[in-house]
Amino acid sequence: MAKLVGPLRKELAESLSSCRVLVVGAGGIGCELLKNLVLTGFKKIEVIDLDTIDVSNLNRQFLFQKKHVGKSKAQVAKESVLRFCPSANITAYHDSIMNPDYNVEFFRNFQLVMNALDNRAARNHVNRMCLAADIPLIESGTAGYLGQVTVIKKGQTECYECQPKPTQKTFPGCTIRNTPSEPIHCIVWAKYLYNQLFGEEDADQEVSPDTADPEAAWNPADAAARATASNKDGDIKRVSTKEWARSTGYDPVKLFNKLFKDDIMYLLTMDKLWKKRKAPLPLDWTEIHHLEFSQEEACGTGLKDQQVLGVQGYAQLFHRSVETLRSQLIEKGEGAELVWDKDDPPAMDFVTAAANLRMNVFSMNMKSRFDVKSMAGNIIPAIATTNAVIAGLIVLEALKTLNSEFDQCRTIFLNKQPNPRKKLLVPCALDPPNPSCYVCASKPEVTVKLNVHKTIVQALQDKILKEKFGMVAPDVQIEDGKGTILISSEEGETEANNNKFLSDFGIRNGSRLQVDDFLQDYTLLVNLIHSEELEKDVEFEVVGDAPDKAPTPSVPEEGKNIANGNKDSAQPSTSSKAAAEDDDVLIVDSDEEPSSSTMEASPESSNRKRKHHGTDTDDAASKRKRLDQQPADDDEDIIALD
Amino acid sequence: MIDTIEKEENIISEEEAAQYDRQIRLWGLDAQKRLRGSRVLLVGLRGLGAEVAKNLILAGVKGLTLLDHEQVTEESRRAQFLIPVDADGQNQAQASLERAQLLNPMVEVKADTDAVGSKPDDFFFQFDAVCLTRCSKDLMVRVDQLCASRNIKVFCGDVFGYHGYMFSDLGQEHHYVEEKPKVVKGSNEANDGPEAKKPKVDPNETTMVKKTVSFCSFKAALEVDWTNEKAKNNLKRIPVDYFLLQVLLKFRTDKGRDPQPDSFAEDSQLLLQIRDDVLETMGLSSELLPNTFVRFTRPRLGVSQVDRVEQNGTECRLF
Repeated sequence: MAKLVGPLRKELAESLSSCRVLVVGAGGIGCELLKNLVLTGFKKIEVIDLDTIDVSNLNRQFLFQKKHVGKSKAQVAKESVLRFCPSANITAYHDSIMNPDYNVEFFRNFQLVMNALDNRAARNHVNRMCLAADIPLIESGTAGYLGQVTVIKKGQTECYECQPKPTQKTFPGCTIRNTPSEPIHCIVWAKYLYNQLFGEEDADQEVSPDTADPEAAWNPADAAARATASNKDGDIKRVSTKEWARSTGYDPVKLFNKLFKDDIMYLLTMDKLWKKRKAPLPLDWTEIHHLEFSQEEACGTGLKDQQVLGVQGYAQLFHRSVETLRSQLIEKGEGAELVWDKDDPPAMDFVTAAANLRMNVFSMNMKSRFDVKSMAGNIIPAIATTNAVIAGLIVLEALKTLNSEFDQCRTIFLNKQPNPRKKLLVPCALDPPNPSCYVCASKPEVTVKLNVHKTIVQALQDKILKEKFGMVAPDVQIEDGKGTILISSEEGETEANNNKFLSDFGIRNGSRLQVDDFLQDYTLLVNLIHSEELEKDVEFEVVGDAPDKAPTPSVPEEGKNIANGNKDSAQPSTSSKAAAEDDDVLIVDSDEEPSSSTMEASPESSNRKRKHHGTDTDDAASKRKRLDQQPADDDEDIIALD
Repeated sequence: MIDTIEKEENIISEEEAAQYDRQIRLWGLDAQKRLRGSRVLLVGLRGLGAEVAKNLILAGVKGLTLLDHEQVTEESRRAQFLIPVDADGQNQAQASLERAQLLNPMVEVKADTDAVGSKPDDFFFQFDAVCLTRCSKDLMVRVDQLCASRNIKVFCGDVFGYHGYMFSDLGQEHHYVEEKPKVVKGSNEANDGPEAKKPKVDPNETTMVKKTVSFCSFKAALEVDWTNEKAKNNLKRIPVDYFLLQVLLKFRTDKGRDPQPDSFAEDSQLLLQIRDDVLETMGLSSELLPNTFVRFTRPRLGVSQVDRVEQNGTECRLF
């Protein structure tokens, strides 16, 4: 066997069989990559994935068959590979890479780590672990026909977080609640509604009209007055949406009329909003059903899901899905909460119906279930061949890396169309590390602007340290001479601090926090600037981190950045039901990319107050615990070199 | 033939919709139906062939015929992932069949153990597309020509160590559609002010634009006249792999096999000789293809290089 080494030099071939590599992810890229590694001659491979196999994976994750649906991806991938290469030594972990078991020591066991991930949180985390362990990392992503590979080596190249990645697209609360102008606004609203009615209520996911909308007030003083009134009284109704629904027994007709008639009529009283906009048209349940019944077209030759129904159709769907979800709630018992999952038919039905009814109210063309699912579930289209190409490139870069030929390594983009030089694959030189990177600089430091009187400790931990700065288990000390501990990563230790304001601890303008994540071996110094002038809905700003600072591309097609992904995953899937989201996402700066695929997903996490986000991940909680997820959407452009 | 592919069953089953969901969302239902109605021939089941087989089967074509007359050897088993470990001595197509079929039970996968050269013309006419790997230049020219008359799409490709090529001939008049975003006629926004937010025309709306493109034959691609001015000017932009391919195809024709590591010394000599002859015939300098090329053309490593040059031919042209 050793005699045949093909085009590989003998020494390289030998080192391949002895080196240990880690593959993070066993999905689209992962399957192709495992196959490639084994056929190239790698012998010691470890693969980790928290996910289970779903039928929608089978068009590209070729190590899996229909009979494997529901099983662990890492496990089945290992078994399938062993069938054509029994001599390979593969260890499979059905687990999250963010589990503290996989500490720096664990990473140090490997000569090379290759990511095959689909979400930014995990990418950030692996980035830091590889920096801490000083192990080279090959990062990659795909979306549709597009793909990208790059190499990360501490001290020599940029790390994954050297360039600030623009944060997820968010919509202002008033757009969602008062003045939607695009289908996505209605879909986000419908998902919030689902949570308010059936799931975990979230103060950041209000669905009722927003009286404090600054646009609505004729008089600026008015807006301020309304804002304070709102805060004091809760929402326009003192009752939460869920309580109200309960009081009516989740009566679908009453719910329909409240959401699509009464609330709309209320919006109409905020007449300033409609001065320059088309006013919404309320729907009435009884009236709808008296209308001429528009014949819904027969299914025909399209997918059933691709049909666009009429208003009666969606009203019926709304009715049916409310009843089904109501029964689900009852079955689960007292205090039960459902979790939205795009693969749960009544949940998907509900969002499809509610979103479409709202679109109709606001004079937008309605969307098929197929399209709503894409947007609500943040589905990234995916095929086998893109992943195959990228996985091939990963191995080529891996070979160079193992030979320490870092000067030969490149970032490579896979385009959909050839560039002016007729190339589909475009290599670019790797950039050196960013000296002010808040992750890989020698003493990382960052400045955050917020209101110390209004920001609670919990928000600092969840939204800033975890979500924005990608930490998993932060420990925070105030640099006040006393080393006051603000947040401890040990459960329960600082729980009492969670709802207190930062100012309660003497934190004020110019205060500094030392933040450690011991798992990631990462220390970040956070300088705080107090501000009372942040925009509405904005809780904090990272100074110097504006997305609009991204340079304009010189060659548009080639400006891309690695996928961030649309999933957050923390725990292994134990349920057989797959709510898996798709593969690695590549965000591309091209006008061909449909907007739904550039939407970021934000995880729905318990215990967190969140801003309105573009689209949320659809992962079922039964499958994984939601973790803070860095939204994707890299609009940053890289200048292509040859 | 592709233009008239019967969308045999117009209805897509629930099972198909679920399995193909992620690709339907990329290339559309119509494209999926066309795939579903197409029959493809794949010649050669080594590393490259296995990758092509996998990709076509996963995509959901109607039928794929795996044609290969050669037997499984240790080398061929190491090159690809479809052949079981105990299949030495069996026919390569036959040995690959079971695992290929398991990739997607909805595709009709068949094995044919004949040599492609022995097949009559009408054998090829039953297919909508033909993929040729490890074939001689003459065969590829022949098949390309006879398929052109029936509008059968032809794809040729090979891997040589770290190098490879893919050629596609979709015909003199290949019709296709391109999805373009609908041009939104902007209203005069001057009066509206910053707050005006009219419901926009859905930015996702696209329209299909019909196009036609013309491909040259494999023969023409290989028989470019390099002596004229225009060709000479373009020479710098031609990847050196084009000339490498000419050399390797000639080697294959002359020796009936590809260069092997076992006969490296002898093969290198011959390769250099062929290089000189081929380039001279073309009226070009030997320096175009430096001597070092012999090191990289040892037998196929496997799939990692293959993926570098391979894409499902229906998507793009690499040139």
